[in-house]
Amino acid sequence: MTTGHDCACAHRAVPPALENVTVVANERLAEGVGLLVLDAPRAASSVAPGQFVHLRVARGADFLLRRPFSVHRAHGERIEILYQVLGTGTRALADKAPGDRMDLLGPLGTGWSIPEGIAHALLVAGGLGAAPLGMLAEELAGRGVAVTVAAGAPCEERLIGRELFERVARRFVPATDDGSCGARGLVTGVCEPLLAEGSFDMVYTCGPEVMQRIVAVQSASADVPCQVSLERLMACGIGACLSCVVRTTRGVRRACVDGPVFPAEEVLWDPAESPDTH
Amino acid sequence: MSSVDLRVEIAGLELANPVMTASGTFASGREFADFVDLSRLGAIVTKGVSLVPWEGNPSPRMAETASGMLNSIGLQNPGVEAFRERDLAWLAGSVPGLPVIVNVSGHDLAGYVGVIEALEDEPGVSGYELNISCPNVDAGGMAFGTDCAAAAEVTAACRAVTARPLIVKLSPNVTDIVSVARSVEAAGADAVSLINTLLGMAIDTSSFRPKLARVVGGLSGPAIKPVAVRMVWQVASAVEIPVIGMGGIMTADDAIEFMLAGATAVAVGTANFVDPTSTVRIVDGLAEFCHAHGVGCVSDLVGAVDVS
Repeated sequence: MTTGHDCACAHRAVPPALENVTVVANERLAEGVGLLVLDAPRAASSVAPGQFVHLRVARGADFLLRRPFSVHRAHGERIEILYQVLGTGTRALADKAPGDRMDLLGPLGTGWSIPEGIAHALLVAGGLGAAPLGMLAEELAGRGVAVTVAAGAPCEERLIGRELFERVARRFVPATDDGSCGARGLVTGVCEPLLAEGSFDMVYTCGPEVMQRIVAVQSASADVPCQVSLERLMACGIGACLSCVVRTTRGVRRACVDGPVFPAEEVLWDPAESPDTH
Repeated sequence: MSSVDLRVEIAGLELANPVMTASGTFASGREFADFVDLSRLGAIVTKGVSLVPWEGNPSPRMAETASGMLNSIGLQNPGVEAFRERDLAWLAGSVPGLPVIVNVSGHDLAGYVGVIEALEDEPGVSGYELNISCPNVDAGGMAFGTDCAAAAEVTAACRAVTARPLIVKLSPNVTDIVSVARSVEAAGADAVSLINTLLGMAIDTSSFRPKLARVVGGLSGPAIKPVAVRMVWQVASAVEIPVIGMGGIMTADDAIEFMLAGATAVAVGTANFVDPTSTVRIVDGLAEFCHAHGVGCVSDLVGAVDVS
């Protein structure tokens, strides 16, 4: 058994830092879903696809800790963050207005691995799981990798990131619960036939853990390597508190520095996230 | 501000300033090296180290509460051998001269003694802090710290195998912390540190489930500071050995409260999770406070609360 600190942790091009950032825009995309644009020159120039930033969204009794958010896009001196209003932190984020200042810690974590020589990647997004896949899609397309995106949402209005994916991906394959856009049903339903086409050499996925787990199984069956991006409650974001652990074949690892992206085959999935219990 | 003397002494160990790290909130320092000049700390207190690797508790291990957080990490650590090879070696190479206090954890008496014996020949260890107050493990931990006789027994057993400074970290989850402090003092402790986390619980009202997988966990952060200051004051008034105060210190002003209550040194914990530069910010703030208030030596603040 290995526990705790692994010496092979996070290969970081640029170390994380504290940065005082400014809200440029805060746009409502759908019911309870927002896009926050931050002027954050240091983070924007150093973040890699799949990394996250740790934000102090507000001060006061309900906001002791930072909140981690994937970086959806980075361009120029700005980063974009997709968020869903779920608790006190994201409610406070929804109230942010242009000009508001925030304290950012980042970029943090180990993002997506893009091996040399991959030709066609399948990105599978479930709901807000589109967040860390935006930058990845742009990066892959920029490197000449063909990108197919499968995205699932309750309805067309909630297909988050659609514009970006349609712009950079060779194919965009939506699935909605109500059939208002693309196939009716779950994204895992469109993922399987796509994998059966046999043209992919890497799968990247983010979304509800049970969905990622199914995508991991489907990828393994199709003999395509798969990377997952796992969400955990965390306090420090820099590897000290050991709140955000993920059980893996390589021991107990930290989502904040060893992840949030992990090779799917290393993850020992939480029994509570079994497809059988959902 | 060079006129302010920030030095303090704990059990023969001279610290450049009173600011230490609280065990479990700073790993072994490496994770903070991007943010903090570690050589500016008074001392580093490491994450709890046990004789063999501990895997820790199931997730979720953390829940935020009003002005605080609950944790049930369960002393996950790679064991004393890996600690020696990775953490101590890194500290010796990267921050030579920084006092290193190793937090020692065990499920039983032999576990505590074994960790100390394994480290006695390590020149990079300045002292030990016995963790007899972790609420998140089934055996050992807090079980030793909530009973005067058991606390004295583990202290005496460790005292017998080391001449190095021996600090005993006390649990607030007791009726009378003063009697536990007196017991470990009599058993040979060189100092006491307090408080560890307060046992707490939080429930998700949408699922009716506890927010921590282990149901209960330790509360830390600003929410517990008044309890901690009160306990430091009570203990410092009752024992001869130095007290290291901690519990919700976020600012230099918080640290000063603890020193006025009787703490010779302080430890910064949960604040490290919010602002990784908290420790050095507090060191600077202490110097500024002393300068502004005409205090020549920070140690003049120790126990200076006026309760008349």
